[in-house]
Amino acid sequence: MRIIGSVWFRFREMRLRTLPSTLWKGWRSLGPTAQGLGIVLAVLGGLGPVLPVALFVFLILFMIYAAWAYSINLITGMTGYVSFGHVVFAGAGAYALAYGVTAWGIHPLAGVVAAGLTGALLALGVGVVTLRLRGAYFAIATLVTALAAVYIVSGTPALGDGSGIRFYLGFQIGTQYYAIWTLLASEIALTWWVTRGRIGLGLRALRDDEDAARAVGINVPRLKLFLYVLSGGFAGAAGSVFTWFNSSAFPDAFQLAYSLDMLAMIIIGGMGTLSGPWIGAVVVNVPRQTLLKLLPQGQPIVIGLLVILIALFLPGGIVGIIRKYIPEARRYLE
Amino acid sequence: MTARLKAEAVVKRFGGVTALDGVSLEVSQGAVLGLIGPNGSGKTTLLNVLSGTIRPTSGHVFLDGERIDRMPAYRVVRAGVAKTHQIPKPFHGMTVRENVTAAATFGAGLREGARVRDEVGRVLRLVELEPRADVPASALTVQEKKRLEFARALATGARFLLLDEIFAGLSPEEVRASIEVFRRVQAELGFGAVVVEHVMRAVLSVAHRVLVLEEGRSIAEGTPQEVVRDPAVVEAYLGQEAARAPT
Amino acid sequence: MADPATLVASLVYGILLGVVFAAIAHGLNLIWGVTKVVNAAHGEFIMLGAYGAYFLNLAWGLDPLLAALIDAALGMIVGVAFYFAFLHRELRGKERIGHQTEMVTLVATFGLALFLVNVTTLAWSMSPVGLRYNPGNAVLGGVTVPLGGVYVGIASLGIIAATHVFLTRTYLGNAVRAYSQDITAAKLMGVNPTTVAALATGLGFAMTMAGGALLTVYLRVGIRPDIGHLYAPISFVIVVLGGPGKMWGSLVGGITVGVLIDVLQVFIPTEFAYAAAFLLVIPVLALAPEGILR
Repeated sequence: MRIIGSVWFRFREMRLRTLPSTLWKGWRSLGPTAQGLGIVLAVLGGLGPVLPVALFVFLILFMIYAAWAYSINLITGMTGYVSFGHVVFAGAGAYALAYGVTAWGIHPLAGVVAAGLTGALLALGVGVVTLRLRGAYFAIATLVTALAAVYIVSGTPALGDGSGIRFYLGFQIGTQYYAIWTLLASEIALTWWVTRGRIGLGLRALRDDEDAARAVGINVPRLKLFLYVLSGGFAGAAGSVFTWFNSSAFPDAFQLAYSLDMLAMIIIGGMGTLSGPWIGAVVVNVPRQTLLKLLPQGQPIVIGLLVILIALFLPGGIVGIIRKYIPEARRYLE
Repeated sequence: MTARLKAEAVVKRFGGVTALDGVSLEVSQGAVLGLIGPNGSGKTTLLNVLSGTIRPTSGHVFLDGERIDRMPAYRVVRAGVAKTHQIPKPFHGMTVRENVTAAATFGAGLREGARVRDEVGRVLRLVELEPRADVPASALTVQEKKRLEFARALATGARFLLLDEIFAGLSPEEVRASIEVFRRVQAELGFGAVVVEHVMRAVLSVAHRVLVLEEGRSIAEGTPQEVVRDPAVVEAYLGQEAARAPT
Repeated sequence: MADPATLVASLVYGILLGVVFAAIAHGLNLIWGVTKVVNAAHGEFIMLGAYGAYFLNLAWGLDPLLAALIDAALGMIVGVAFYFAFLHRELRGKERIGHQTEMVTLVATFGLALFLVNVTTLAWSMSPVGLRYNPGNAVLGGVTVPLGGVYVGIASLGIIAATHVFLTRTYLGNAVRAYSQDITAAKLMGVNPTTVAALATGLGFAMTMAGGALLTVYLRVGIRPDIGHLYAPISFVIVVLGGPGKMWGSLVGGITVGVLIDVLQVFIPTEFAYAAAFLLVIPVLALAPEGILR
């Protein structure tokens, strides 16, 4: 659409001799948070080849969680519509890859793309019906969809019934690493774009007061659907990398626990922010993979308490708290 | 050809309640129609139907001959009909300027940054909100919030404004000032308007014609002076006794 | 095609199950209708009620019906505590519950749900438990009905009926109803909003936990910390079907869901029956009155 047109136009305007200064200006315009995230991503990307396997595994799982956090941030964080059933997209993507690899023998990377499309299409279908509903009803409708998905998948022979789908593709963590890295980087870029300019303004209006947003001419339904489809697509793609990593897809790919994790990540990190999902992913995923192997329930308990605390006393999550109590940080952390 | 906004035999039922029972009205661009009536007579419902916020049970709304009653509200805005809210709904997280920018960007569909900035500046100057342009909307006074509602509606480039009690809740001095602003802006920009009001002074000052609603039906229409003396109107507001008393 | 006897049997089982579902959902319904708060931890209190019945059975051999009474008393206390811990701050003084409050309470209760599931898993592990209660079967009109199901069905109806009586015949009950319709008006009539909201929450939790106890009859070896993940959505579906705040709606919704699940299983695989029962809520929401649409 118009966005592609304007990007292309600007692209064509660049002459080669002005390329360095254009790039520098582009970099400057990102803002400190995006720059920070960009550097972290670059480090993660660059270090890939030299990492020990254990760290590889750790980072793959972390990035999957971060990708999920960014995906739910696009809808729940940006619009305030709580997607309790977001796991349904991750699960759909998981099965899409598993099915594609086993039934059609496609390459897992193609499976990731297929998973993304599956998630996006599913979000389109679900969103068209459910995004019209108010707050709590939307949440319930998505919850119900996720639950129904568990049953449907368990009862479909082609999808392995209750026993799921297993496959074996060999040791591919390198490719998996860069697949999820690409997904995460795209999501962060997209989140950055969506908080800026025209769409950013429309979103802020939408989040602030949906009725008033309509009253000033914002096409609210289309905006919500656009975000939901994107979030579904990324959740699906990330979910498929998870399946790829585990070499299997089971009905528990749809279990509520994943949705709850996704929500917890953005609530703790800060909904609708650029760095919130990352921070949330660190808080939720890192301890789980490290210290708390000893006490598996300890970490979710802390997470639960954190969510309660934040909801009742410290809205805005960690990013919100920092921005509120350290005004100097506002320029740097978004 | 002047643009025309027309409602034809609009009926709106909510469950067992009939809020509008076959109301028709017509406004031309440049004219101001006052819409008055006792509480519960259906004024706000009528504005909501005109703006596309709710759909009529039956009847149509036309803008320049094109049916707009089945259009979603945001499309109606883009087509040229903008409504303000009785209780102002500013975007609290944004400044005054950003509020108006949103309206200019989406309602009027302006694309280039410079054009948007110019238009926003112009509107802010017109409604005398320029000194407060960079204040967060949450910090505004009631009168300023109402001005902001007005400014947003203007910034959408609408040819017809639907104003819901824009003079209510203001002190007499504030009412006077707001009437001034409205008259000046309306004369300069030439939009058509349907103004729902309880403040009689405002209606008499700004409206060219007035339509009176009672229980969802139109009971009188004419110039403000005619309508105010109409016994049916007096009765609707004050009861039969008052209607019989000499004016 | 299935034979009539099987169908009738499924219908009966469905109704018996549905009535218990209704009792479980009733608590959610009451709280939602009165305080306009959606309790995301609803399922976890059902779970606690079930565990309560299990431990009471283990320690003193109490059957679920008795356990339900004790759970109800417990639930009352827990509910009031819950109100003051989570809701009071948000609801106090407000006469209209806005979007912001909806979100805050939803998220806070969600955190509580997370907390509860994991604390109980820590305490009692994920291994499912069940309690021993089997009063046998009876044969009514050619259909074999499990008496356990009948007893808890009656108890569930009792819960709903008792609530109805309370809401319509007592002063406090009427105060609750007035509050749920219009807080301002209720206040003007001398109703203390805090008392009403706390009471309603307490009652709601009492019903939820009692319902959880009654549910154990159907959870023969299936009481686990995460059963809330199944029964909460069921409750939400029931409340939406019946209409939040409409007290008899729980019964209508509950029986609908129960019957759907059991009867559909005769025709289509179990999994799809469950899926269908859940997905039913979406078309209902889509076609519903303007009240719940944006």
